Amino acid sequence: MQSPSQSVLLVVLALPFLAAAVAPLVYRLVGERVAYFGAAVAALAFGLIGTQYGAEGVVSIPWIPSLDVSLALYVDGLSLLLGFVVSGIGILIFTYSGGYMHDEPGKAKFYTTLLVFMGAMLGVAFAADLLALFVFWELTSVSSFILIGHYQDDPDSQYAARKAMIITVAGGLFLLIAFLLLHTVSADVMGTATFRLAGEGSMIENAGAMREGLRSAGLFVPVLGLLAVGAAAKSAQVPLHIWLPNAMEAPTPVSAFLHSATMVKAGVYLIGRFRPLLGSAEWELLFAGLGLLTMTVGAMLAIKADDIKELLAYSTASHLGLIVAGFGIQYKYGAETGAFHILNHALFKAALFLVAGIVAHEAGSRLLSELGGLWRDLPITAAVAVVAALGMAGLPPFNGFYSKELLFEATFHAAEHAGGLWWLLPVVAVFGSIFTFLYSIKFLSLFFGDRPDALEHVHSPPLPMLAPPVILATLAGVIGLGGIGGTLGIHFWPLEAFINRILESVGASEPHFGYYLPTSLTPAAGMSAITVGVGAVAYPYYDRLAAVVDRLASIKPLSPNWYYDGIMNWLDRTGVVAERLHTGRIRTYASWLLVGVAALTIGGYVAAGVVLPALSSITLAAPIIIVLGVAVVAALAVTIAPSHVAGVLTLSILGFMVAIFYILANAPDLALTQLVIETLVLVLFLLVLNKLPAFYGDLKRRQIVTDTIISGVVGVTVFLTVLVSTAATPGKPIYTYFLERGGVPTEHGQWLLEWGGGSNIVNVILVDFRAFDTMGEISVVAMAALSIITMIAMRQRGETQ
Amino acid sequence: MSGESTPSTTDAETAVPQVTDGDTTVIARTVVRIVVPIILLVAIALLLQGHNQPGGGFIAGVLTTTGIALVYIIYGLHYVEDNLLSGTILPRSFPLDVGDTGSESSASITKEFGEVFTIGLIIAAGGGVAAMALGYPFLTQAVVFLEHLPIYGEVEIASALVFDLGVYVVVVGGLLTILAVVGNE
Repeated sequence: MQSPSQSVLLVVLALPFLAAAVAPLVYRLVGERVAYFGAAVAALAFGLIGTQYGAEGVVSIPWIPSLDVSLALYVDGLSLLLGFVVSGIGILIFTYSGGYMHDEPGKAKFYTTLLVFMGAMLGVAFAADLLALFVFWELTSVSSFILIGHYQDDPDSQYAARKAMIITVAGGLFLLIAFLLLHTVSADVMGTATFRLAGEGSMIENAGAMREGLRSAGLFVPVLGLLAVGAAAKSAQVPLHIWLPNAMEAPTPVSAFLHSATMVKAGVYLIGRFRPLLGSAEWELLFAGLGLLTMTVGAMLAIKADDIKELLAYSTASHLGLIVAGFGIQYKYGAETGAFHILNHALFKAALFLVAGIVAHEAGSRLLSELGGLWRDLPITAAVAVVAALGMAGLPPFNGFYSKELLFEATFHAAEHAGGLWWLLPVVAVFGSIFTFLYSIKFLSLFFGDRPDALEHVHSPPLPMLAPPVILATLAGVIGLGGIGGTLGIHFWPLEAFINRILESVGASEPHFGYYLPTSLTPAAGMSAITVGVGAVAYPYYDRLAAVVDRLASIKPLSPNWYYDGIMNWLDRTGVVAERLHTGRIRTYASWLLVGVAALTIGGYVAAGVVLPALSSITLAAPIIIVLGVAVVAALAVTIAPSHVAGVLTLSILGFMVAIFYILANAPDLALTQLVIETLVLVLFLLVLNKLPAFYGDLKRRQIVTDTIISGVVGVTVFLTVLVSTAATPGKPIYTYFLERGGVPTEHGQWLLEWGGGSNIVNVILVDFRAFDTMGEISVVAMAALSIITMIAMRQRGETQ
Repeated sequence: MSGESTPSTTDAETAVPQVTDGDTTVIARTVVRIVVPIILLVAIALLLQGHNQPGGGFIAGVLTTTGIALVYIIYGLHYVEDNLLSGTILPRSFPLDVGDTGSESSASITKEFGEVFTIGLIIAAGGGVAAMALGYPFLTQAVVFLEHLPIYGEVEIASALVFDLGVYVVVVGGLLTILAVVGNE
């Protein structure tokens, strides 16, 4: 295997973000055709990832070398899979949006966020470093938040976006803790602490030692649990699945892209990625159990849904459960289930969402009870739906059948070996699959049966909306045909070779993947037969089953939503957030910030055992004492100034005293700056003074006491910091470096590059040695001016532009 | 800089009715007229000598802003706008709701200053990029000594001056924006 190309990977990663930056501009130029610009970007990314198909390994770009953080990118089967899925489905989704978003508001924002999301998702796929992975991970949550809340003024959208944000981002924080623990343990195991997950000198390379290290530190189960929470929040596993059905408030392309094909795959991707590192008996118990539970609960909830998007959302959670269960089971079929089903599910579920979008768009309803017999109006869409939904149902020879068959085999094998309660695994798997079969057939009832009279004329969808689901269903169909070929001995080798590579990256040794229709009555084939048989018998009782599930789901303590809403309402009612933290008043934020900073600083000193320097070692000349004395008096006088003008003027006494102090301390540059700044601030103050109220009302005693304490604490902290930091005397102070190089050497040529070449060392540092910092500072000045413009000058313009 | 303020003497008569901050005295106005050019001159001197003596782009920028702030306070915002900024009331590319006269003037003036600090950033970054074009890292600075010049003898020219000029322009633009916006309130 050749090693991957650093430049290609960097371009793949940077491309969507750069495209996102120019997307609003492109929108201005070409209007809604910006969708095809997005599709082109996705296609380019897809092509570039394709060039890396033969590569494997890690490339590293140093990022924060002093902390050993680098942007390391890793290419292997699993990351290629996710990369292909994200960019490939991205092409189709952007194309589809070109038709779907025709009448929708906020297109520029929509496409920009979608591009950012695609970049973040590619980052998740290729990141080899835990910190980079975390950053991209949270970025996908944030972009998902914006996309779910696309209809900003709709309360349902707001609720859904907030819910998704809280659950997925909070899950990400669990992940962060797990990553930090792994980082700590890696120091003991490998000698140096590393964040590197995959590749050379990484945690996965030393997986056995890492497991030992984690166990001896007693951290194995906690790390496993933290990872599981993070992954479950992202991949909508029970009981954290509740955000996914609400997320369907987003426009349908978003649901198809983020909430079925890619973002929710991040969690299962993570589980697959960590499988070789943490695979163990606990791993199997946790993820096989979690996955099968989610698979069953999701499938049961799906049959009570009347809205087709809600049905698909629950079904997504259910299928993600299937993948998680697959990755959970340590037997080789487990890995095969997970790897194969990621691909299969992405294909058929994205197609079904796009079908749902077409139906909603053209027939004007998303409710199963209002729709039926649409195949006459939408024949191509119906064909797509048949291929995709039968794949979802797991009927042979459609693609979902093979991966479900693998799951059955894996669960059966696990039960056969462990015995006892493990027999629950195959039973639950079959039980969940029956419901999957039921709702898949129900979905197809959109297109068959009687056409309700109330349904008005249904338009045919435009080509950009029709082509993407057709392509997806064709691919799903081809995978299904590959299985038929496999049965006849003609193997679909490109796919099988690719799956083998994925299996290697999820920890299977010497994978030998092949898929075909069962030719003899294996246990798995029997389980499939039971699923289909019971499903077919139960279908006539669909409505009754749905009513039962509905009744079960309405038992409040069984519903995670009840807990979520309960906590949120409690926070609202008690005012913990609204009255203590987010009051909307600057003084509250300032107090929390200042107290927090002071507490952290003092805590840091205590933890590090900092000793205060002896005060007697400080000697001051008489002039400085006088100047500082005046400054202190001025500072005290400010607090009792009778009017604003007097206060401001007294404050500037303090400022000018500081300037004089600088002069006495031989710092003319600082003194000059202080003088002019002080003057300017005085002027600014005088400009706004007459706008301020002269009288603020009486202060409460409690307010005075808390404010005094806060300002006291902050003052003491700053004082201590100055004392401690100035007491340290490094062996070779940093200024000697600048002094040696700042001036003009006595012998010099006409050009001087190595040296600063100026006798004002302060300025030479500013514009030469540390020019990059100064560049940042002037950008901040520009930024501050811009924000003042936005805050004050444009506030009356509102948001209607 | 001082060239720009010369129209103030000729337009003084017409400018008086536009004074918004009202009751400034003749003394203040006269003093400002004399002092401001000196302030601006000092600021430029600080900018130029910064490499070898106290000074530099930041200080010079703040000092320039202070000078212009004096004009603001004494003559009012509209005076500066009409006479120093060639009478632009409505900016070229800054659409605003007509009728909201209060924010019109501020918007036009902030637009001008917005352009100023953008130019500053371009100057500062451009100097750095120029170093890259010559094959050195971003923001590498050099010094060239020109010898045997008439009158001056040897003169040292630092490329850092370009960067400092960028700093100066950004600070002037940024602070004047803030001043104009806040002052207009």
